[in-house]
Amino acid sequence: MIELKNLSFTYENKEVFKNLSLKVKKGEKVGIIGESGCGKSTLLRLMAGLYEPSSGEMIIDGENIPEKIIRKVSVIMQSPMLLPMSIRENITMGHEVSEDKLKKILEDANIKKWIDSLPEGIETYLGDRADELSGGQAQRIAIARAMCKDTEILLLDEPTSALDGENAASVLEALDRFSIGKTVIHVTHRKEHLNGYDRIFNMKDGCLFLQ
Amino acid sequence: MKVLKILIKRNKFWIALAVFTALISNLSQMFFAYFIGELVNKIETRDTITFSFLAVPVILILSNAFTQFFNQFIGRLSAEKMAHTLRVGYAKILLMRSSKENCSVAAAMSVAQNELAQANSYLGNTFFDITGMAFMGIIATVFLLFQNVLLTVILIVPTLLILIYVVYSSRKLSGIVTAAQEEKAHMNKTAYAMIHAFPSVKIFGGEELCKETYNKRLQGWKKHFVKLGRLSSLYNTLSGILSRVPLLILFLAGSFMVIRGDILIGTLIVFLILQKSLTMAIMNLPNWFANFKVFTTNLSRIDIE
Repeated sequence: MIELKNLSFTYENKEVFKNLSLKVKKGEKVGIIGESGCGKSTLLRLMAGLYEPSSGEMIIDGENIPEKIIRKVSVIMQSPMLLPMSIRENITMGHEVSEDKLKKILEDANIKKWIDSLPEGIETYLGDRADELSGGQAQRIAIARAMCKDTEILLLDEPTSALDGENAASVLEALDRFSIGKTVIHVTHRKEHLNGYDRIFNMKDGCLFLQ
Repeated sequence: MKVLKILIKRNKFWIALAVFTALISNLSQMFFAYFIGELVNKIETRDTITFSFLAVPVILILSNAFTQFFNQFIGRLSAEKMAHTLRVGYAKILLMRSSKENCSVAAAMSVAQNELAQANSYLGNTFFDITGMAFMGIIATVFLLFQNVLLTVILIVPTLLILIYVVYSSRKLSGIVTAAQEEKAHMNKTAYAMIHAFPSVKIFGGEELCKETYNKRLQGWKKHFVKLGRLSSLYNTLSGILSRVPLLILFLAGSFMVIRGDILIGTLIVFLILQKSLTMAIMNLPNWFANFKVFTTNLSRIDIE
């Protein structure tokens, strides 16, 4: 469950939002739309425990301290932020993952076929090849990374905004599969990506308005 | 090569003058060495040494000093003329290039800035020095061959063997330098990626992995760097010792030939004076080729009008 109580956040002396409250039940899917720069990505990063609120309380899956909150969520951002390491390391981030689980994750993220076609497979070093990857391939690695962490709460920050139609559809398909039964907060400026969501909010002037 | 041809064509008078002064300067050095040898021979054979005979080396020393001065002066001037032709020639096509490639004049200038700077530096600091040394090497070889073929061969053979060693060691070192640079690039890339992808690293608990990867790269770089230092000091020390080998062989073989009466002591002295011009020219060949290759590569990236 996610609960934001009178949450305020100030960044570089600018008030991004004030007294914001939101309750999201377990398994609920909530979409947040709004214009660029309205603070929706900041709210998501706050919920991910990357920032500390200026005032108010934030309870994410029973935790209210950013250091603990960060362990409870998975985030897929607009940029997949790949590291100059192997595909395996980019997905597991150095954590122990069984081969069977990894195989399942690659299938669910729609990247198994592509990785198997690489000469070095999952051990392919992405340092010099990261630029050669398509946006869709890179984003599906990021999804596989989130699948590996496998938390109850999934935060999505415009995961398809940099992708073309076909790639976006493939990524959304993988995300739909992955988000079954999870609590999802999806921030986007494209409302059509929020079909089937339980609630959709519009963020304006630092406030959330139910659509 | 096209740009180099243009540079030579447009400055042919100055280049010809620089080459001529280098030739005269080197010839005067050869004849000075020759007269020293002749002087020693006359002393050895108790021949009469006239004042007019002694005047020749004095004239040679003076002419060598003058030609050295003119060689340096004309060499620098010619290099500057060529560098100027290059800069002005490139400046002339800047506007054309910027409109053709749809970029600003400043952007077009910055495209070739490094190449221009390096080519200018090569022309000013290296081009005519190398030309002078190469001339000296060629003239010394021909001159020594006329003095004694066998002794010249005795000098050239060990020098060529050392040349093979120099090429081998520089290739080996350059391989380690590349590996160390690659390792450092990986290290910087990892550090940059860690900063850039910090939110993802933090969310997915990748701090340990990043730390481990960075340390691994750091160790790799350190290992290559230490190896480079160790091998370069070993190779350079060995190369320093080996560079004395041709002189040693020349001295031993030459002394033996003098004792046997095959050559006069003056001839050996001429060889001892001029051996450095020949060995240095041969041993510096790989460096000269490498620098010239960098120079022509830089020129190939610059168009001039």
